[in-house]
Amino acid sequence: MTHDAGFWVLQALNALQLSMLLFLLSVGLTVIFGLMHFVNLAHGALYALGAYVAASVAGAWGGFWVGLIVAPIAVAAMGVVLYGGLIRRMRRSGPMAQVLVTFGLIFALLDLTRIIWGDVALASDVPALLEGQVRLLGVDYPAYRLFVIGLGLAVLAVLAFVLGRTQIGAMIRAGVDNDAMAACLGIDVERLFFVVFCVGCALAGLAGAVAAPLLSVTPDMGLQILIPVLIVIVIGGLGSLKGAIAGALIYGVVQTFGAVLAPQLSSVLIYALLALVLVTRPTGLFPAKG
Amino acid sequence: MFRHTPLRVAALALLAVAGIGYAFGASYFGLEILTEIAILAILVLALDMVAGFGGMVSLAHGALAGVGAYGYAMLQAQAGVAPPIALLGAIGLTGALAWAIGAVCARSHGIYFIMATLAFGQMAYSYIFETPVFGGDDGLGGISRLDLSVLGLDLMDSRNFALFCLAMVALAYAACAFVLRSGLGRSLSGVHESEQRMRALGLTVWRVKAHVFGLSGMIAGLSGALAAQHIMYVSPGLLSWTVSGEALVVVILGGLGTLVGPLVGAAFFVVLKHEVGAITPYWHLVTGLVLIAVVMSRANGIFGALEAWVGRRRAARQPQPLAKEVPGNA
Repeated sequence: MTHDAGFWVLQALNALQLSMLLFLLSVGLTVIFGLMHFVNLAHGALYALGAYVAASVAGAWGGFWVGLIVAPIAVAAMGVVLYGGLIRRMRRSGPMAQVLVTFGLIFALLDLTRIIWGDVALASDVPALLEGQVRLLGVDYPAYRLFVIGLGLAVLAVLAFVLGRTQIGAMIRAGVDNDAMAACLGIDVERLFFVVFCVGCALAGLAGAVAAPLLSVTPDMGLQILIPVLIVIVIGGLGSLKGAIAGALIYGVVQTFGAVLAPQLSSVLIYALLALVLVTRPTGLFPAKG
Repeated sequence: MFRHTPLRVAALALLAVAGIGYAFGASYFGLEILTEIAILAILVLALDMVAGFGGMVSLAHGALAGVGAYGYAMLQAQAGVAPPIALLGAIGLTGALAWAIGAVCARSHGIYFIMATLAFGQMAYSYIFETPVFGGDDGLGGISRLDLSVLGLDLMDSRNFALFCLAMVALAYAACAFVLRSGLGRSLSGVHESEQRMRALGLTVWRVKAHVFGLSGMIAGLSGALAAQHIMYVSPGLLSWTVSGEALVVVILGGLGTLVGPLVGAAFFVVLKHEVGAITPYWHLVTGLVLIAVVMSRANGIFGALEAWVGRRRAARQPQPLAKEVPGNA
């Protein structure tokens, strides 16, 4: 089995697809952390919210694509509410207070989704356009999963362009590097934080909408994804786009190939890797600040 | 450094009287809740020792308690070791594991320390979940409780077991207070204040952190071994990171770094869970909102707020400031 080229292509595609889903989630979280030093554990809950909104919209108005657009907007709106109500006031608190407040938010959002949508898992269909398989490099691969990979790469390209080549990107990078200095240079750092937070939330919603047809939509899906996302950003280094990509790819590859090549070790492997990274490079592989 | 203020002694006495009194008055269901409170109280004492006094906010403590539970189950039910030795073995094993985790994580701070301990906790969870010896998802059953018939106590009786767990809380509290007041505990407070200063004074910082983390792990292991005896069954859910998160919530609700506060927090949390759980299945929502309110209020939990209030009253009565007493981290 392992000598077959098709096997490697298939697993590599699986790894890439998992990586892209994790990238969509971790990039928002990591940039929020880099800019605001804010640890938002509720990011996973926002992702679950996105999945629910997308699945409901797709079910009610019969369109995956509508859901894909509505979910990020709805989750970004939720982000606006959270920012105004909680996040802004917790900005100057230590990491533990932030971890706890957002941990409380996880509890609250988890039960809110249960109250609104119930405990039963929602199913969401793959859009008609992306049904079936595509022949690629000698293997048949589901078109929808290829779409996920493509979407992840597209978001990556847009973010890399915005952060690296535009004025607002330069402002964000300046804010991550030294927010006090950036404020002195006339950048409205507070507003920048707000925009970045909302974009991060929208990306979490987008990831939820994309994940809905792949996984079953359950209230605890946010809790399940949270740990992998945290591993990704800690391996990659908090606050950097490069770190989020590297971390997501490492996680995807280790998890996918670990599961097929060393099933007994697979789940321990990623945590062992994380421990190794933390011990040898305590701030991750690509920390935002030198 | 940890001090026994009159308020803390009074709160402890009140808790002891309430616990023992309730143990003799309660029905079966009440006794189960009391036991649950006692087991959680031991775990949060262990967590407060590292988080409140050493600044090591650990998300591994739930997993450590789970290791204690599995250690006891494996030794007692699978290997057939006598229960008292299995209990000591489980505590020793958890302590050794915690020492290693503490030693490895000693260089990390803040959010990285939280993440590192989370990683180790998850590693333990996955290992136990995936390894067939531990029964996987089904867990392990057939666990018996300690045999105290020498003392004329049958621990299969839920009242006796509740009282036994309360005695263990007292033991764990005494151990925590002893460690925190010892030279090691004072060094830990110093490290919490300024690592650089303690290093300049010639202290090996990582060793202090590892030692205290190991001792804290032993207490967490005790909590887990008691939990295994309580339900006489262990499952991987015991090691889930949400258990650690809940323990942290309890410490914060009660009052970080007060040692007495977390005991209050444990009682408050379990009662809240059962009372709200009886009215609505959505008790997490209430817990989450309470937690957010407590953290946003900037008070140091229930007991911390009480201490601050008593401190203000005393200051109001005596206009001249007496001493520079910092209530939160005392």
